[in-house]
Amino acid sequence: MSQVPRRTRVRQLAESVWPGRPVNGYANLIAARLRKLGDEASTGVLPVTGHGDGAIFFRGGQVVYAESGRTPLPVPGVTGLAALGLAGVAGSRADEQPGSPGQGSPAPSGHGGLVAARSVARLAETLAVTEAVIDAVTELLANDSRYAKFRHSDDLPPVPVRPIPVETLLAEVQRRHEILRQLAPLITPDTEVARQPSLDSPAVQVSQAQWALLVRAGRGSTPRGLAMHLGRSVFGTTIEIYRLIELGLLAVPGQPGGTDGAGGLGQQSGTSRHRGPGPAAGRRSGPAMSFIRALSGERASDG
Amino acid sequence: MILPEADELLTPAMAIDGFRLGCLVDASTGMILASLENSDALSPSTAAAGATDIVNVLTLLNGKLATGEILEDVMITFSDSFFMVRPVGRDPEPRILLLVVADRHRTNLAMAHRSLRDLCASFPS
Repeated sequence: MSQVPRRTRVRQLAESVWPGRPVNGYANLIAARLRKLGDEASTGVLPVTGHGDGAIFFRGGQVVYAESGRTPLPVPGVTGLAALGLAGVAGSRADEQPGSPGQGSPAPSGHGGLVAARSVARLAETLAVTEAVIDAVTELLANDSRYAKFRHSDDLPPVPVRPIPVETLLAEVQRRHEILRQLAPLITPDTEVARQPSLDSPAVQVSQAQWALLVRAGRGSTPRGLAMHLGRSVFGTTIEIYRLIELGLLAVPGQPGGTDGAGGLGQQSGTSRHRGPGPAAGRRSGPAMSFIRALSGERASDG
Repeated sequence: MILPEADELLTPAMAIDGFRLGCLVDASTGMILASLENSDALSPSTAAAGATDIVNVLTLLNGKLATGEILEDVMITFSDSFFMVRPVGRDPEPRILLLVVADRHRTNLAMAHRSLRDLCASFPS
């Protein structure tokens, strides 16, 4: 029997998967397992348990679907290229009709020609589901997750996800993990946030998506909870919450510039731009999120 | 690249003189949706990440200024290239970005600017 402690073996294996990267415990072992399934052109299901229970589905060595108990299920038509204003999503967004996400109407044709309209509408549907799949894998590859025995099966979910090569998926997941590490000193998907109670000027301008979060952020709200409620990506919602903190409209209770209670914004309908109350006088000094620094694995606190 | 079939949306951008790189990027998550390149010298992921960071800063600036305006485009001039970023579609929220990098010595900036505007406007809404 090997005399090498289990934790050391895990670290050595993980280092062989992503050399030079921070060791991420069992998540790197899952990444190695995904690569192997990709190399073997496997078709079936890899159950994952731990931090976020779920499963990753393969067809011919590519990931065609994934879900986690801690992220919204894939629902076509609410995210990604849908934001182009195509596929009839503008009238069916979750932030406009809470409780009925993804029930988009057929894509309008018109300004760009029928071929292009069909093409983009199809892409919008595909990306909406793809975003949810990547969001789920991002969660499943978190610390403390473990995979179970791979089940070979041709019975896969009938969801229109474009097959994603394992390497592409892992690169995107790693990029997201780096961004979440940047944000971790201030906010995680499970950090409670609250509206700034101060209603003094100056005014600020937020997007429609941010407004939908702002009006729903009450006592005990977390990015994950809001994402689940709106049927949006947990990762994307966490970033939008961070941006609202940057604008001074939300705060993390207990952080510098934070608030001890929920704010007083009423729910308002509106267009994509809202002039809401401005930030409180006190501002937190948190990390700066940077997509470009995430590529090289830098954390905000490193620079 | 997550959605290679989105390349067809980028194909018209390749007609810009001096075209080197084009990307469609999700402005919220920074994820590259599709990319086309004429040169191996540029990393699409780096260019897309930088463009998304720039738009984030400008969106934050716009949010704090609260003038009610929306971001139309960003033009950056380097010694040898132009970086052009433009939100796609008519949605005032810049959620999908089109990034085009072009060779400065072969590109007419005004024509390229017009081409990008027309391209983004051509997406059905």
